[in-house]
Amino acid sequence: MDKIKGKIIVLFDDVDTDQILPGYAMAEPLEKLGDFAMAGVPDMVFSEVASSGCILVAGRNFGCGSSREQAPIALKKAGVALVVAKGFSRIFRRNAINIGLPVFASDILEYVKTGDEIEVDLELGIIRIDDNLEIVSAPLSEDVRKTLDCGGLIERVRVELRIENAAQSLQVK
Amino acid sequence: MNLIEKYLARLADQEEVVPEQDITCRISYVAAHDVTAPIGILMFRKIGVNKVFDPERVIFVVDHIYPAATQKARDGVWLMEDFAKEFGIQLYHRGQGVIHQLMYEKHRAKPGALVVIADSHTCTCGGYGAIGIGVGSTEMAAAMATGKLSLNVPKVIQVYLTGNMKHNVFGKDIILYLGSLFGTDALVDKGLLITGPGISNIPVEERMTICNMGTELGSMITLFGTTDREMDVEATKDIDLSGITPQIAKPFTPANVVPVSKVAGIPITQVVIGSCTNGRLNDMEQAAIAFRKKTVHPDVNTLIVPASKEILDQMETRGWCKIIRDAGATVLNPGCGSCFGAHEGLVSERDVVVATTNRNFPGRMGNMKAHIYLASPATAAASALTGKITVPV
Repeated sequence: MDKIKGKIIVLFDDVDTDQILPGYAMAEPLEKLGDFAMAGVPDMVFSEVASSGCILVAGRNFGCGSSREQAPIALKKAGVALVVAKGFSRIFRRNAINIGLPVFASDILEYVKTGDEIEVDLELGIIRIDDNLEIVSAPLSEDVRKTLDCGGLIERVRVELRIENAAQSLQVK
Repeated sequence: MNLIEKYLARLADQEEVVPEQDITCRISYVAAHDVTAPIGILMFRKIGVNKVFDPERVIFVVDHIYPAATQKARDGVWLMEDFAKEFGIQLYHRGQGVIHQLMYEKHRAKPGALVVIADSHTCTCGGYGAIGIGVGSTEMAAAMATGKLSLNVPKVIQVYLTGNMKHNVFGKDIILYLGSLFGTDALVDKGLLITGPGISNIPVEERMTICNMGTELGSMITLFGTTDREMDVEATKDIDLSGITPQIAKPFTPANVVPVSKVAGIPITQVVIGSCTNGRLNDMEQAAIAFRKKTVHPDVNTLIVPASKEILDQMETRGWCKIIRDAGATVLNPGCGSCFGAHEGLVSERDVVVATTNRNFPGRMGNMKAHIYLASPATAAASALTGKITVPV
């Protein structure tokens, strides 16, 4: 698994799924969901701060609320490559992994600000904040890395069901 | 092992399981609704299998946006209708009801059976003894294909109940109170097991209400156990039900809970009584009792949303619909109503809502500044009459 390097967008505690992807946008087609990422956060125009490959850094309980998979899909489509948070709500965490959006539990809010660039090694659990500071947290489990390496749960299920026809790319782009 | 561990061991065909253990469980029912099924269908087709694991055990429900509020919502339902015909699965549609209520009425899982639904309130089935695990669309698709769910055995927190609820205190007040104790992330990846002599007088409908909001506390599995105290748990919280008063969650999180008395008097503009949390006959009865020969406050939109056609039929038979309409309130079609902001009662910045639903995050009902208070049907009905947040008598 590669290291992930990117520019940070700092968020906060308890970012809930209504903020990540509001109810009114839930029936939008997949390709459009990125336009609505973080639309539920007051005073935030996410498209103005997000860039391809950016990393969200948040506090506790990221993704709390609904099971809507539209939430992590919207983030991925808006360019988010990784979410680092002090803690994740269970369903959001599993959904993100299942659609191929890595998530990593680490408490780094106090060390960073929006616009900083960090590098994250998900296999070793090391976040390189800068030349002087590295934060070590529990790495992703083997099971999670397996799903992410496959590109998501569907790919993994296909492999596990031993389906021969893998011609098409199955990643949610 | 505690009861949750015993059930999981059986589902995984193991003699014994321990916390954190990775297991694969047999599923009794897989289900999804009109917000989660469309993506699930897409993902299922990508797997490449030509059938679901068991058509009798896969259920789709149109409940969130029925009748369709937008063309996109309608497109999603067409997808479900086509899939249901193609794969021979059950589709509940056209106002039959909310998914968690229909699972209870039509596909009631046995105690200890595993129900996997693409919806966070799947934990509702813990109220009738089943293990309900909420998942996303992709995991639901995998479950439709394989009939199995992988998970890590959770550590379990026990809530041991004694005493009896006061006459104006209901299941909703209990789970709101638990929210004030635990917060929204203390129970992440954990199981919540509710036991003790206090559960004897909690009827199944109220148990479902309590388990329904377990997800708001972050709990992975919420389950009613037995009256016996479990010893094999990570921790136990002892609660005397008789000490609890009516509770209410203030904006903007379900765990921001205080006694209703602390916010009594705040003027309101909308009341919603219904949802998978509180849309059952016992909940509708609170509206009927409160509104009989009275009228709701002229400044309040009062929306009553039964959770299923069966419940609505019962309300008609008992004359409750007439009572509710004569009081100036509106009876909506069975479904999710305005709970999550897609239709049937959106709000604006000026609105202050008392709802029996389960979430009050900013923007939940359509406007980020609107205030949503979560409460029991009794509290909501009392408030609809006075036009202010009111402690029910």
